[in-house]
Amino acid sequence: MKNNDQRSSLVWLVIGLSIALYSGKYGLGTFSIPGPGFLPFVSGAAMVLLSLIVFFQQFSKGRADTLKSLWTRTRWQTVLMVMASLVLYAVLLRALGFILDTFVLTAFLLRVMEPLSWKKVLAGATGATLGSYAIFELWLEAQLPAGLLGF
Amino acid sequence: MEILANVMLGFEVALQPANLFFCFMGVLIGTLVGVLPGLGPVAAMSLLLPTTFHLSPVSAIIMLSGIYYGAMYGGSTTSILVNIPGEAASVVTCLDGYQMARKGRAGAALGIAAFGSFIAGTLSIVGLMLLAPMLAEVALKFGPPEYFCLMLLGLVIVTFLAGSSMPKALLMAAFGLFLGLIGMDIMTATPRFTFDMYFLMDGVGLVPVVMGLFGVSEVLLNVESTIKREIFETKIKGLLPNRKDWRDSTWPIIRGSVVGFFLGILPGGGAVISSFVSYGMEKKLSRHPEKFGTGVIEGVAGPESANNAAAGGAFIPLMTLGIPANAVMAMLLGALTIYGMQPGPMLIKQHPDLFWGVVTSMYIGNIMLLVLNLPLIGIWVKILKIPYEVLFPLILLFCLIGVFSLNNNVGEIGLMLFFGGVGYFMKKFNYEAAPLVLAMVLGPMMENALRQSLIMANGSAAIFFTRPISLAVALLVLILLVLPMLPWVKKKREVIAEIVE
Repeated sequence: MKNNDQRSSLVWLVIGLSIALYSGKYGLGTFSIPGPGFLPFVSGAAMVLLSLIVFFQQFSKGRADTLKSLWTRTRWQTVLMVMASLVLYAVLLRALGFILDTFVLTAFLLRVMEPLSWKKVLAGATGATLGSYAIFELWLEAQLPAGLLGF
Repeated sequence: MEILANVMLGFEVALQPANLFFCFMGVLIGTLVGVLPGLGPVAAMSLLLPTTFHLSPVSAIIMLSGIYYGAMYGGSTTSILVNIPGEAASVVTCLDGYQMARKGRAGAALGIAAFGSFIAGTLSIVGLMLLAPMLAEVALKFGPPEYFCLMLLGLVIVTFLAGSSMPKALLMAAFGLFLGLIGMDIMTATPRFTFDMYFLMDGVGLVPVVMGLFGVSEVLLNVESTIKREIFETKIKGLLPNRKDWRDSTWPIIRGSVVGFFLGILPGGGAVISSFVSYGMEKKLSRHPEKFGTGVIEGVAGPESANNAAAGGAFIPLMTLGIPANAVMAMLLGALTIYGMQPGPMLIKQHPDLFWGVVTSMYIGNIMLLVLNLPLIGIWVKILKIPYEVLFPLILLFCLIGVFSLNNNVGEIGLMLFFGGVGYFMKKFNYEAAPLVLAMVLGPMMENALRQSLIMANGSAAIFFTRPISLAVALLVLILLVLPMLPWVKKKREVIAEIVE
């Protein structure tokens, strides 16, 4: 594998292939009366073709690089932690309720990049939670989940 | 004279207190997201879309448009003061704008950017007023085959103008097309690729996808980078450009406006491309091209005018054909359909208050922006100084609540986070998100046009090549697909790609 364009093109190849194959299930129809699976099949097939073009293009041009080079001198651990906390937020939103869930999330996020002092973190998380609650629940009536705390 | 009556109608609508208020909110939020790196107009518009549901359609579109051209204004501020473009469209402004700031001329640079934007914005609105109704008239003759070919052309132009490789951009368009087709098939009521997830029945929501690709992923990239922003610490004084500045900038502003407006009509990155073209053009025409990059005012005036004029031009395809030219216009299209309006050639006739009201509100918005950006520049600089570790939790929080409040559905948050991850990897591996979003919006429309065309022709695909307009458009599509393979075009495109990087 020469470079990251080639590596990524293989991922798209797999996705395109699965789309094209799975589309058959919905019925392709005929060319004059396209079925529900027709255009999805065309898009999947186009992805296969294009990813192959990207793959083979890289042999003649493009510089070699490694997968690792994309993440050198980055704080990728932070990205993982942020992403994990967001997923957890979504999972727990109904159970914990908006206020508790949001408070915990913002407090965590405020610490994750630069360790701010706890005083600032608490003040920031409280402010963000109550502020967003005021905007979305009280003003825009978004009906955020109440959960544990009951409001 | 008819135009005059229409303009009067427009001002009547735009000057209503409620619309003035939402226009102001729009340009205010627009300037804010333009100033803040890592939150662009597309994400901001999708964030605010749910909050506009209880407004009148005219107010909502006025506000959403305000965010778009407001962000074009705000983006230049960060380019000049921090050397970080707040928007992709103000990347070139960094070249000479930041150098001017280092020479103590930040005030003049900010001033000419604001005035240039104002003049260009105004000129492009005049162009929009003159051109849009005429084009809509022509578009009335289009049937489904013409629309199908036009949408295809739009997608191909977007990928042709894309900064990176055309196959990669086309790949993204194909994936976007697929995403647009997910959900219930209208003709046969077959649920496609929903995997029994109820919230996918109506299709993949535009807002969660856009917020994931343009909001969450951007935050993730900023969080991992270790580069510290440094704000240029000088007193900003003398915002008014002096007489020599004006003499140097007048023609660049006018040329930038014209170039920007016409490039803006083309689908795909109009604002970005036009700012580059304008910079290149000024450098070529200049009597001292060697000074470009050291802080000459033409290098700020031209591109800044061009990107604002392009913002106006981009409205034309949406308002006349109902085909969005870029991701921002795709958001507006989504908004219009939610309010039950069908964008297309009939829009101007059926809803004159909407079209003329929005267009004239842009004029008023431009005046508001001038006030917001010049005397209040100090406030924006203060906002720039908020450290990112405090800012990003707020951005994420707004994305989360905004998406959730769409339908009170946690599944939509999941969708946004998924596309946040996808967008993160796409940026890492240099895939553009804009063709994806555009294709996703066009997907269902293309499918309809394709089916209607085939029904019209009793199932013969020849219909696309027997009608003169659709044949011409289809040929153009082919040319654009073949063109990048020719050696000299290839070279030119590589040069552009290098500049963009």
